[in-house]
Amino acid sequence: MTLLTIVQASPTPAPAPGAGLFTSPFLLSILIWVPVIVAVSLAFIPNPRGRYDALVKQIAFFTNLGTLGLLMIGYSQFENFLPTMQYEEKIPWLPSIGVTYHLGVDGPGIAMLVLSGFIGVVSVLASWGVRERVRSYFSLLLLAQASVTGAIVARDMFVLVLFWGASIIPLALLLIGWGGPRRVPAAWRLVGYWGLGTGALAVGTLALYSASGGTSFDMDALLKSALSSRVQLGVGALMIVAAATRLPLFPLHGWARDVLGEAPPGVVVIVASAASRLGAFLLLRVIVGAEPTAAHLLSPVLAALAALTVGYAALAALRSLDIRHTGAYLAMVPGGITVLGLAAVSPLGIMGSVLSLFTGGVAAALIACICATVAERAQTRSLAVLGGLAPRMPNATWLFVIAALSLLGVPLMASFAANVMTFFGAFKTQPIGAFAVAAGLAVSAVALATVLGRVLFGAPNSNPAS
Amino acid sequence: MTYLVLLPEALVVVTAVAVLIVGRMGWLPVLSRRFLPLVAALVVLVAFGVELWAGAALTTYFGGAMLQDRFALFAKAAVLLIAAVAVASADWPAEDSLHLGVAMPLLAAFGVMVAASAADMVGLWAGLELAAAAAVVLVALRRPDLGLRLLVVGAVATSLVLVGLAFLYASTGNADLSAIHDVLSSRQPTLALAIPTLLLFGGLALRAGLAPFHVGPLPVGLGASPLGAGLLIGLVTVAAATAGIKLLAALTPIPSVYAPYAYVAAALAMVGGGAAALAVRSPRPRMAYLAVGQLGWIAAGLATHYRSGMAASLFLLGASGVAATCGPALLGRAEAGETAIAGLGAVRPVRAAGLALAVLSLAGAPPLAGFFGELAVAAALAQSGNFVLLGLGLLGSVLSVAAAIGTLRVLYIQGPIEEARRGAAAALPAVTALSTAGAVVFSLIIAGYGLFGNPILGLADQGAEALGLR
Repeated sequence: MTLLTIVQASPTPAPAPGAGLFTSPFLLSILIWVPVIVAVSLAFIPNPRGRYDALVKQIAFFTNLGTLGLLMIGYSQFENFLPTMQYEEKIPWLPSIGVTYHLGVDGPGIAMLVLSGFIGVVSVLASWGVRERVRSYFSLLLLAQASVTGAIVARDMFVLVLFWGASIIPLALLLIGWGGPRRVPAAWRLVGYWGLGTGALAVGTLALYSASGGTSFDMDALLKSALSSRVQLGVGALMIVAAATRLPLFPLHGWARDVLGEAPPGVVVIVASAASRLGAFLLLRVIVGAEPTAAHLLSPVLAALAALTVGYAALAALRSLDIRHTGAYLAMVPGGITVLGLAAVSPLGIMGSVLSLFTGGVAAALIACICATVAERAQTRSLAVLGGLAPRMPNATWLFVIAALSLLGVPLMASFAANVMTFFGAFKTQPIGAFAVAAGLAVSAVALATVLGRVLFGAPNSNPAS
Repeated sequence: MTYLVLLPEALVVVTAVAVLIVGRMGWLPVLSRRFLPLVAALVVLVAFGVELWAGAALTTYFGGAMLQDRFALFAKAAVLLIAAVAVASADWPAEDSLHLGVAMPLLAAFGVMVAASAADMVGLWAGLELAAAAAVVLVALRRPDLGLRLLVVGAVATSLVLVGLAFLYASTGNADLSAIHDVLSSRQPTLALAIPTLLLFGGLALRAGLAPFHVGPLPVGLGASPLGAGLLIGLVTVAAATAGIKLLAALTPIPSVYAPYAYVAAALAMVGGGAAALAVRSPRPRMAYLAVGQLGWIAAGLATHYRSGMAASLFLLGASGVAATCGPALLGRAEAGETAIAGLGAVRPVRAAGLALAVLSLAGAPPLAGFFGELAVAAALAQSGNFVLLGLGLLGSVLSVAAAIGTLRVLYIQGPIEEARRGAAAALPAVTALSTAGAVVFSLIIAGYGLFGNPILGLADQGAEALGLR
């Protein structure tokens, strides 16, 4: 009776917005496999002479919008302060070698997932102008999107390698089929670098698997097993190679200029944001989150890589005479900042990194995409020719300015908080690296100001021949 | 009931012989082109069903010369499925002879079944030669010169295998595989055992087209009819690999006599196959080199000489066999190189999808059959600490995937050539209900192999256990 009185007197906790709206135990699988099913269906829909091109675009758009809607419901029900994985799915897959179909998200995962869902919608919108082989284009775009989502939610290293590697093929085909004039070498670079990264990830995974007894690929088992410092260092080095090919980090950045410079805007958005943020996400999961010895020993290396990346990208952007190349180099900057936060190995730095996974991804996608769009609409990529476009492209100008401010992390922009936390965290433990990254960011500001001044707000090009 | 396990073999061989006789006598009606492949595919599917149902019984027959264990069940079921899909998906107008085209894959499948059930060296050799002979017939139909070359290469391979088997018999005093295993359990590895092993596996590698021995049979496959090429690249390789796995299982007590050869051959095949696939542009040679690369992964799994490695190799052999046999069959003529398949995705979507999946699976691209097989082998390599071989394998896979993307670009990104310029060398594959169904089933197998990987890998593991491996 007393208990009943207490229960009745206790205030009912207010339900979280969206709570109870969606209770599917397969939310993450739906997010991965629905786009795959739609992509395969689109590939086989008869489309004589492009009659249903508009329908194909709409199907792709509403598929991504639908998955984003589901994701937002899932996000609203996500328990922010629970340290455990949520929306977990765990089904034995190949038990004889220890593979499970294990999916799940935690805080950083949900941030990445929201980024991926948001970028999926944006990529379809940015691809609306595609006219050739529309069916194949949107099929491949959905497959690329699904593979990135799969890599984010994978909680089994085998599944992670599967999705990590699976994203290469649709992206390379999108580049070859719909890219700029130097698309084929760009695609081979993408395959080469990302293939190297996938190889490094696979070897690192198998080394972890072997060192932890060779019974399971599940992250819960692999990343919690007690490993010697030597193994941790070896695996950590391999994971850094894998991450560096994706983010990209200097000196494994060779694909970035060509791919981001040649890919169509819709593909640029995916590559520059969610697909490349996977590199930082991997470092967070495997090195910082699970291998304390490797994290402490390799943190100076990570800080150095971050500094070199930001410095190189800023200087290269400053020297570039091609607006798409400038955009590609500038898109490398947020990745460097994210890695700096991870190199700090401090709670504040890591929090900044997690936040910058999202904000940096959006900023990188926006700057690369807007550079591609300006080049496409102005029908030239040369910075020597482009000039005074602000009056003629007001919307693009606004987006360009927002992208620039976001990239630099100025106050009121989402990346401000991320950058502040990252730098505050990093200056304590990696002062040289943090200073170098800050200097690189200052040079990036100069490069951005130069581009903005020349392309948007400078005098219009009066030479009719150009 | 004991002999019910022989029903699949009986069905396959009777069908093949009946088709041969009826075709030779000219009793095939004109309309047979429409139903003969369908009937053959259905008979093989029935045999597949019987194998799965009755093959679970463990038994020996013919006085112990043949045995039915889990290894035989796995290999026989796999090869029956491969044969059925290959016959169904073939581009029959591109074949030189209907009755030989139907009969030879069945005879090759029968050869693999004999090798898989063999309890002694004689059965192994007989099964291998039967599969190889079927390929020679199909190759010689179109290009007698290449048929002769294959015959000579095959003769060299046979000599090496026979000399190796004879030495092995002389060293152990037994032709029975389990007895050889028992004898070797109490022996030390010696040069007298290492030399015949080298000859034996040299012969098998020549048969299978494993690098560097692929220079013999591989060019022959490129001039054959589509199904002939599939037979040579796929089923003969499966026969040689089946014989190799059984012999390796007998030699496992002294792995030092064969493991070094397997390491070297695997490394060469994995990297060389990928690099060669990237270097060529024509789809059939590319597919053949991709198959060589995947064969290297199978050899790498065998080199571990553990049950997990052997099971992974078997698992991959199933995936590789189906893609390597059916891929060229799906490709059709395509004698005009890359141009022949340009834009095939637009004009023959189902066949192009099958072809794309075959190439990607042979390259080990995720999430297809070949990827799961290669990763299972990679896990076995990691467990045994062979990280150098693993690294080389991954390098080969990256090269292979790059090559596969090149073929996908031609299939889907390039536009089809004008019909007026197409000609016989680039003729489009014929569309029939059977070939479409075959391509769909093939695609489902390649895409679903990983999804249903647990029962398949479980059976492969039982197969490795049946060979006496730990």
